[in-house]
Amino acid sequence: MSIAETTLVAGYSVGDGLVLAAALFVTLAIAMLYRAIMGPTNQDRVLAVNVLGTNTVVILALLGAALDEPWFLDIALVYALLNFLMSIAISKFTVERGGVI
Amino acid sequence: MAVDHAARLLVPVTQSVTLRPTVDYAIEQLLDRREGDAESAVHFVFVAPWRAGDPDATVDREQATDLLAQIETWAEYDLDSVDVDPEAVEITTAVIGEDDYLFSPADYVDLLSEYATQHELTNVVVDPEYSLTGQTTLLQPFEFELQQRDLTVEEAPVDRPTQRGRLLSRSSPVRFLTLFGVSFLFYQVLGGFSGLFDIVTGAATALIVALTLSSVSFYRDPTLQSSPRRLVRGVIYIPYLLYEIVVSNLVVARVILDPRVDIDPRLTKIQVYVGSGLPLTTLANSITLTPGTLTVTADDQELYVHSLVPFAREGLFDGSLERWVRFVFYGREAARFPTPRERGDTEVLQEATGVDATAQDGSVIADGGDESATANSSGERTVDDSDESATTDDTTDTEVTE
Amino acid sequence: MIATARIGLIGVCLALGLFFTLVSATGVIRLPDVFSRAHTASQADTLGAGFALAAVALTLGWDAATVKTVLLLVFIFVTNPTAAHAIARAAYEEGVEPWTTGDERR
Repeated sequence: MSIAETTLVAGYSVGDGLVLAAALFVTLAIAMLYRAIMGPTNQDRVLAVNVLGTNTVVILALLGAALDEPWFLDIALVYALLNFLMSIAISKFTVERGGVI
Repeated sequence: MAVDHAARLLVPVTQSVTLRPTVDYAIEQLLDRREGDAESAVHFVFVAPWRAGDPDATVDREQATDLLAQIETWAEYDLDSVDVDPEAVEITTAVIGEDDYLFSPADYVDLLSEYATQHELTNVVVDPEYSLTGQTTLLQPFEFELQQRDLTVEEAPVDRPTQRGRLLSRSSPVRFLTLFGVSFLFYQVLGGFSGLFDIVTGAATALIVALTLSSVSFYRDPTLQSSPRRLVRGVIYIPYLLYEIVVSNLVVARVILDPRVDIDPRLTKIQVYVGSGLPLTTLANSITLTPGTLTVTADDQELYVHSLVPFAREGLFDGSLERWVRFVFYGREAARFPTPRERGDTEVLQEATGVDATAQDGSVIADGGDESATANSSGERTVDDSDESATTDDTTDTEVTE
Repeated sequence: MIATARIGLIGVCLALGLFFTLVSATGVIRLPDVFSRAHTASQADTLGAGFALAAVALTLGWDAATVKTVLLLVFIFVTNPTAAHAIARAAYEEGVEPWTTGDERR
């Protein structure tokens, strides 16, 4: 039995706690969407999306642990890579105006 | 001096994209202005940004010597191509300044003018891309200082390519093997060390990675002697960095969450001495990771750092991160180094603007730093004028309005 | 006994992770300009993600997946400040002036 299935109180397990945490992370991510939509500059948006992406990675990892699906972590890893590349590529694109990325 | 005044040239050189045309230009000038049998000479001088005895000094010195040898070949080729007797022109190369740490353009110019006097050189040809330890922004003060010392200064009129320096460096067997090993190991870790299939595919993948990227992944060859040591010292550095991150994160969390506390952001400039490449990246990233400071641009050794609160600025100017990075990459000896504040290498680029400029001090109360200390002790180059008189707790600026 | 301590530690890590992510979200929404926002994006968020991932690693225990979590953590610690730097630099070179006390809110 993995620790995620250990019962805490009233029939709720550690896994449920992780799912709850993931839900709270989702709430925070939705709050960050405000900045991604409002801007005002492009960099603000990229930044907000970058933070959102990091949050997504965390949510994926939490769910992976809670539901005992370790392969979620692979997706989280790839997502983190893409998130980083997105920030770098857009920053470079705006500075060099479509120069070599 | 009986010597024709225009026929003795001093050319400070460093690795740059316009070096070749500058050498051309210098030789051309020399031949143009040469009169009769006047003894003409050109000195190519490399000002050492390192100090003899520094770690890695030998490697840097070798590179400088290689560069100078290359320049000499170019110069001789130029003379040859216009059918001038190479004997008629004296080509000298030199590395100077190994005994000092050089901080400002004035230091460089002192060295160069001393050299010029010694060798009776009167004219200076400056490569437009010439940079002091790689900082491009300081060329103008540099030329100005040169002129102050009765030298005729001329910038070589060469075409400047707009692109930045090439990312590509050479590949070598050591680099190839290191990269192969690291990526193979990474692949195995991800795959969980599970059998022959992973080993075969991993080898293939690592081979592709090493073939394509070994020429861009390293600045200098990793060696068995220094690389593991750096790694170990890096591991020592991590707990300290984590501690710094947590502590200052709490300070910044306070500033962000408490509506009564204002932020007081400034753009600051700081000169660091860690060497370019990986050490600089490490330092810049560490600075960004420690809350309250964010590296905005890094012009080789010159960092533009945005700081959120005075507490963070203090920490930055104390330079403990810089010393740690020097420790990680060059060992314990190099970590004994004056702080940026003692060197006078710090500068606050912005002042509070607007009508309620005095309100800034109201914000200082809660964040643990004291701003008057910043202004007083960071030397004369600090342009931060904080007046301690105001205690107005006027927090209109960053109040949440949504 | 050990399991209880471990569960407690998981709870603490999760709480800290949530707290710092809350700080980062607040900062991104509340602070006045892109540079200040980049601070929270790179720092509070990195630490928040760090704690949350530590909780995940604790939950998974000694496992191949834990190695991945640690890799993910290292990766986030390296890339997040780099991305924030790239964004701040892009803003700087685009000519966005850093906000100082007394400027108007943007």
